[in-house]
Amino acid sequence: MNKPDQPVITYDMDPVLMAVLANRLNAIVREMSNTLLRTARSAVLAVVRDFSCSLVTADNQLLCPGEGLPVHIFGSALQSQSMCDTHKDLAPGDAFLHNDPYMGNTHPADHMIMCPVFVDGVHLFTTCAKAHQADCGNSIPSTYHAYARDIYEEGALIFPCVRVQKDYKDVDDIIRMCKRRIRVPEQWYGDYLATVGAARIGERRLVELTRRYGIETIQQFVRDWFAYSEKRMEEAIRELPAGRLENVTVYDPLPPVLPDGLPIKVAVDIDPAAGRIEVDLTDNPDNLDFGLNESVACATSNALCGVFNCLDPDVPHNEGSFRRLSVKLREGCVIGIPEFPHSCSMATTNIGDRIVNATQAAFAEIGEGHGLAEGAVGMGAGAAVISGRDWRLGGSPYINQEWLVVNGGPATPETDGWLNYGLPVAAGLMYRGSVEVDESKYPMLFKSLRVVAGGGGAGRFRGAPGAEVIYGPRNDPMTVVVSCDGQVNPPRGVRGGHNGPAAATYKVGADGSEEKLPGVVECRLGPGEWVRGVDAGGGGYGSPLERDPARVLKDVLERWETVERARDVYGVVLSGSADDDSLAVDAAATTARRAELAATVA
Amino acid sequence: MPYRISVDTGGTFTDVVVTDERGRFTVGKALTDKRRAFASIEAGLAVAAEELGLGVAGLLAESAMFVYGTTRGTNGIVERKTARTAFLTTQGFPDILLLKEGGKAEPHNLRMEYPDPYVARRLTFEVPERINAEGGVETPLDEDAVRALLATLAERQVEAVAVCLLWSIANPAHELRVGELIEQALPGVPYTLSHQLNPILREYRRASSTAIDASLKPLMQEYLTTLEADLRAAGYRNDILVSTSFGGVMHLHDVVQKPIYLVKSGPAMAPVAGLAYVSAESLAEDIIVCDAGGTTFDVSLVRDGEVEFSRDTWLGPAWTGDNLGMASVAVHSIGAGGGSIAWVDPGGLLRVGPHSAGSEPGPACYGRGGDEPTVTDAAVVLGYIDPAHVLGGRMPLDEDAAKRVVGRLAETLGESVERAAFAIMAVANENMIEAIKELTINEGINPAESTLVAGGGAGGLNIVPIAAELGCRTVLVPRTAGALSASGMQFSDIVTEAGASKLTATDQFDFEGVNAALADIDARLDTFGTRLTERGFTDLRKRYFVEARYRFQVWELEIEVGASRFESPADVEALVEAFHQMHDRVFAITDPGQAVECLNWRGRLVANVKAPTLEPSRAGRTEHADPDRRRPAYFGQGLVETPIYLGEHLGTDVVIDGPAIIEEPTSTLVVNPGASARVSAGGRYILTPPAEGQV
Repeated sequence: MNKPDQPVITYDMDPVLMAVLANRLNAIVREMSNTLLRTARSAVLAVVRDFSCSLVTADNQLLCPGEGLPVHIFGSALQSQSMCDTHKDLAPGDAFLHNDPYMGNTHPADHMIMCPVFVDGVHLFTTCAKAHQADCGNSIPSTYHAYARDIYEEGALIFPCVRVQKDYKDVDDIIRMCKRRIRVPEQWYGDYLATVGAARIGERRLVELTRRYGIETIQQFVRDWFAYSEKRMEEAIRELPAGRLENVTVYDPLPPVLPDGLPIKVAVDIDPAAGRIEVDLTDNPDNLDFGLNESVACATSNALCGVFNCLDPDVPHNEGSFRRLSVKLREGCVIGIPEFPHSCSMATTNIGDRIVNATQAAFAEIGEGHGLAEGAVGMGAGAAVISGRDWRLGGSPYINQEWLVVNGGPATPETDGWLNYGLPVAAGLMYRGSVEVDESKYPMLFKSLRVVAGGGGAGRFRGAPGAEVIYGPRNDPMTVVVSCDGQVNPPRGVRGGHNGPAAATYKVGADGSEEKLPGVVECRLGPGEWVRGVDAGGGGYGSPLERDPARVLKDVLERWETVERARDVYGVVLSGSADDDSLAVDAAATTARRAELAATVA
Repeated sequence: MPYRISVDTGGTFTDVVVTDERGRFTVGKALTDKRRAFASIEAGLAVAAEELGLGVAGLLAESAMFVYGTTRGTNGIVERKTARTAFLTTQGFPDILLLKEGGKAEPHNLRMEYPDPYVARRLTFEVPERINAEGGVETPLDEDAVRALLATLAERQVEAVAVCLLWSIANPAHELRVGELIEQALPGVPYTLSHQLNPILREYRRASSTAIDASLKPLMQEYLTTLEADLRAAGYRNDILVSTSFGGVMHLHDVVQKPIYLVKSGPAMAPVAGLAYVSAESLAEDIIVCDAGGTTFDVSLVRDGEVEFSRDTWLGPAWTGDNLGMASVAVHSIGAGGGSIAWVDPGGLLRVGPHSAGSEPGPACYGRGGDEPTVTDAAVVLGYIDPAHVLGGRMPLDEDAAKRVVGRLAETLGESVERAAFAIMAVANENMIEAIKELTINEGINPAESTLVAGGGAGGLNIVPIAAELGCRTVLVPRTAGALSASGMQFSDIVTEAGASKLTATDQFDFEGVNAALADIDARLDTFGTRLTERGFTDLRKRYFVEARYRFQVWELEIEVGASRFESPADVEALVEAFHQMHDRVFAITDPGQAVECLNWRGRLVANVKAPTLEPSRAGRTEHADPDRRRPAYFGQGLVETPIYLGEHLGTDVVIDGPAIIEEPTSTLVVNPGASARVSAGGRYILTPPAEGQV
């Protein structure tokens, strides 16, 4: 807490008022998010929170990211910039729909709504609400099209920052286009209303705030808040050693486009003297004919996210702290600036997740106490897009992305991995779906959903395990589109920590026979057939032989680990039984066992 | 039988409030004895009894009613000191309590330990059975497997059993049968069935409330039964009522059946007190109630004269704590109070909290080894708290220590010690303002049109600037601010609830199904009502609610339905209209023409308990008041000589303009410059803050 000899830092604004206004902005973003969550229709938004709200200044600097998904937010300013570039006649009452990944958006399934905020005729802010759609008009019934050779095959309706409201009323031309091409249009329109509602609530509150304090004060606040955030970032970087960190992680094979997978290279230059960090992503292959190319927003955000995961989480995440960071990208690179018409259908997740992992794991090279292991990747069966018809509602169609994955989080230098991690780009922020809600809304039945014992990468701190989920249709066929990674190259441990187990997907026939499915697959299930998905687990941090035996004991008691893995992986020998509460660590046998295992490793 | 007694047993203090037949309040406070509730009740009663010129036995013998609230249940849950509970759930889904609903705070902080589930996984058991969304049986219940499992529970010395099977709300047959088998195999072991306790959709919330309820049964049954025996032994002969999460009271014997109702037992009474005081003063009945203690700041709401409920209550932090899963009075708590520590972050910005000096070592001015500047230290430096007059001089404070620690912080900030202290108060206020806004915004209440009620020992220190910032024009501070929840119990009704789950939509409304669900609710309420009538409570009212949403939406809003039967399409139309209005109020949008889906139905029975009439608690009128003394105090513009008044010397109608400080035995009220305080005819302080932003 209070350190002696802390230097006095001064700002033009009263620092108390600065703290007050920073709080006010956070409260506005929270209110926007609450509005979107509670009014959205699709489960992917209303249950799972796959959306984010943020505030940007009129000169296009990210001001307040709230607690949304970093991948959604860090590029908000790119999109508001394109709003200013394409529309010279911005006026109160405008709202813009922007899902163009070549103009600053993440990927086409993320519909961004932006409202310019005016006070006394001056454009001061832009409110941003971005929501992942249940459907975006793709050529396949999924918002993720891994095999799309280009944007034409991908098929999403693209809105390169178009005016969707004027004078606070819908531009009906745009609404009709969406309703024609997006599956289950009423669900889309409900989600659209929720998103616009969020942006409008933000607009209303920002106008009130500005009237309350005056334009001058608010503008002074913005300058000082950025200065403060930059200062915090500079201080955080100064505590790191200088050096260049390099890391490669390999994305799973995706035949025929990627027969051997895709190595993803990340280089991080830390310059504590200058208080700067640069992430270089240029040493990667050219754009490929698939849907996994990164957009500028995603490549940048995911690299920044990996860095922020390794610094003091109290540092504000906005344009001020971004001034101390840079991400080097190259034109026509699969992880960089996408060359049109290469598809960015899946830019937020898959390769994006690998960038976060590679970056945060690179920091572990600095030494003990730094960086993180890799977290679980892959949207397996628990995160599939399901579609079909519901006999209970007269055969009406449905489509939605499930979110019943667990996907184990990465071990850290001081804790085990977070269980409900989801993905590196979501980092535990998204909510889970509910079996009962899903079964009431869609004609499906879950057979089981359980966390896998021994499902996390072992280590001094272990990765969190994933889950196994089994579900299928009831009376009518169901299409399941899975876009999984991490089935061949699982999340890696760091500093002697073990890798997490790989993910897997199986089709289970009516007779119980199992067929292993590829990572990315569109699978049609008839009644009586099931899909079984196993999540990846997070990587471990440090050697499992150094794990506190008391933690291993608790892991076995609480079914995180098995007695066998305790003995063979952690070198902890247990006596007694969990069933009668007599399980205990055999200290002498453990010492011997650990020595034996250490010799084998050496 | 002139007296009514209410008691609130908190973690640190037990508050006792006694009213007589003229509505006069007497307050007693004692340290909480964690082993036996009655020990501290007796100590508190002794203080009050002495003021009334009675002994404890005499007071109890002369009392018509005893109302009790306790945080014992909540503390048991948070500290995991409840019964050894087993969790039984559908085969294949053992991790409902572990996985919760996902979500976490702090996007870039992964160095957090994932929380343990409410029931350990080693005490979680899977029951072979499965029911589907429409109530059909997918897999029949394997009774032999259940018997084998129950034999294991007996061996494992389980003290309580929670049963939550998927879709038991659509077809309870399997849960009911498991209940019968438990009674056979584990006679005397308390258990809870999810569809009986809390018939709602969403397996985590239902399972969580079931597990909490079952785990509390042994503990709370013993605790309350002992209390009853102690009270009877001490000579008390009348009704013993217990305060519940519904902001009402229930008879002790009813509440031990569903101890989950005790979870917000104390704090749920603060808004009840707020409503009673505000009604007595005929002020605006949208009310924000703040209760500021040493370590927590609680906010609750009253809207249009109705205490606000929430269905989303977490014990512990949101997402990672335990969800109550059922409606309770909405109480938003933040860890902020007099003990919150002020610090300067590496960017040079002043922060207050989340670290707290607590009560041990406490603020530096307590002189018990605290060496970090706290909010209480700032209040001493500013002259708001007179070090020689705390608790009537029984607890002298170390002013120099406060100045030393705040002074150190002032140097870091490059400010004077008073300005630094003022900044600490301002930042602390900000945390509280944010907590109030969070709740009011989520519930669609405009603070500017509401009355603010301040309670708690620290509530009066900063209520004026908080009110000014929120735009509140009227603030009420009761003289018994220090015992707000116990005071609320004096005014609370008997409230009980019954629920049923019935999914339907307004465009294909299932009249028969809904009416059957409502009839079932009615029948359960009537059984309860009959018992109340037999006990002499005759003023009964029933109300009905439904949780509903637009088709395709996922989250529900609760709306009131007019009657317990839907007779015609017009009744359904009225429900749709009420839903549109509620949606518009909360979210500022509607979707006209869209069908409304109805899920969970709820009935509430309210039995009026004759509350004390609120008579003036002042000796008489005073034209003007004389200060007890003057001290320098700081309000942002240099030290000013500020009059200090003793509350007991102020009569009705006197108006005190700020800057001024009013001292009551258990609290201090700061009247900032530009604000004024009037003593109402009812003896309460009514403050008018300066216009927005003037403080």
